[in-house]
Amino acid sequence: MNPRAKVEKFLDNASRSRLMVYACVLGLIGLALMSWSLFDQGWIPVMAAMSVGQGIGTLSFALFLVIVIIDLRKAEFRPSIPSQPMKPIKSEDD
Amino acid sequence: MHVSPLSWIALTCAIVAAVIMVYYLIYRPPLNGRVKALMMLAVGVLPIMTAMIGNLEGLAATEHQAFCGSCHTMDMHIADANDPDSLSLAAIHSRTIKFGDKSCYVCHKDYGMFGYAMTKLGGMGHVYMFLSEFAWYDMEEALPKIHIARPFKNDNCMQCHSTTGRIWNGVADHNGLLEDLRTGTTSCASAGCHGYAHPFSKPDEETPSDVEAHSALEAPSPEGT
Repeated sequence: MNPRAKVEKFLDNASRSRLMVYACVLGLIGLALMSWSLFDQGWIPVMAAMSVGQGIGTLSFALFLVIVIIDLRKAEFRPSIPSQPMKPIKSEDD
Repeated sequence: MHVSPLSWIALTCAIVAAVIMVYYLIYRPPLNGRVKALMMLAVGVLPIMTAMIGNLEGLAATEHQAFCGSCHTMDMHIADANDPDSLSLAAIHSRTIKFGDKSCYVCHKDYGMFGYAMTKLGGMGHVYMFLSEFAWYDMEEALPKIHIARPFKNDNCMQCHSTTGRIWNGVADHNGLLEDLRTGTTSCASAGCHGYAHPFSKPDEETPSDVEAHSALEAPSPEGT
């Protein structure tokens, strides 16, 4: 199976709510690391916040975007209704 | 511990985001449009705000002595710089308001267009060296091994001491070595001149005598230097 087919299969079968749970858990870990550096400005918290914390936060947001993509793939887009052709104006002579 | 107003804004964003995420984890509402908009706020907008403010505050924190001193191998350097009785260059400069709490950064940073980025890259090198080697040493083992990565540039001294002032040029040694000092051939912080900035970390024979140290202390005021 080629990579594209794998991704499509994943997007077809993935559970949105489970992805959202992972996104929330990762988001909470990332936020904890980023918040730690606001109060303790030693090298460990600052480096952790600006590397690991932001990396985990980005992964969390990426999972949310995957959910959006899944929804967009399943969404049914109705075609726009074509406008009615204008009726010819009858002259009073007719 | 000082927490700036920006940090409080970042913390507020983090708390609001965390509350929304915990709410989702507990109640698991169906992911309709409204919930997704809320989650966009919780995992996207608010954490990005926290991260951006965290970057600003984090980068600002790297300029303070507390950050440099958070590695145990810098304990003696920080203690000496803050010692009111010390006559080292680091201590003399740290006592002035222009250096103060940021004395490590003001002296050791690179100046110029890419100075900030180069300083941060250098700092990453320090983190690597600390994690790979110095973290495992106690102070006695570490002190003889600590050395500056490359010779200290006179350009850094010349950010304040322009070498054009009347009083500075009135010193015979300055006048005689003017070109060498400006080009960096002779270091201001060498044993024969003002001595090492952190003399306690050098062998005795390399450090200036008390007389030299006192003459450095009695150097003219920055005006005219």
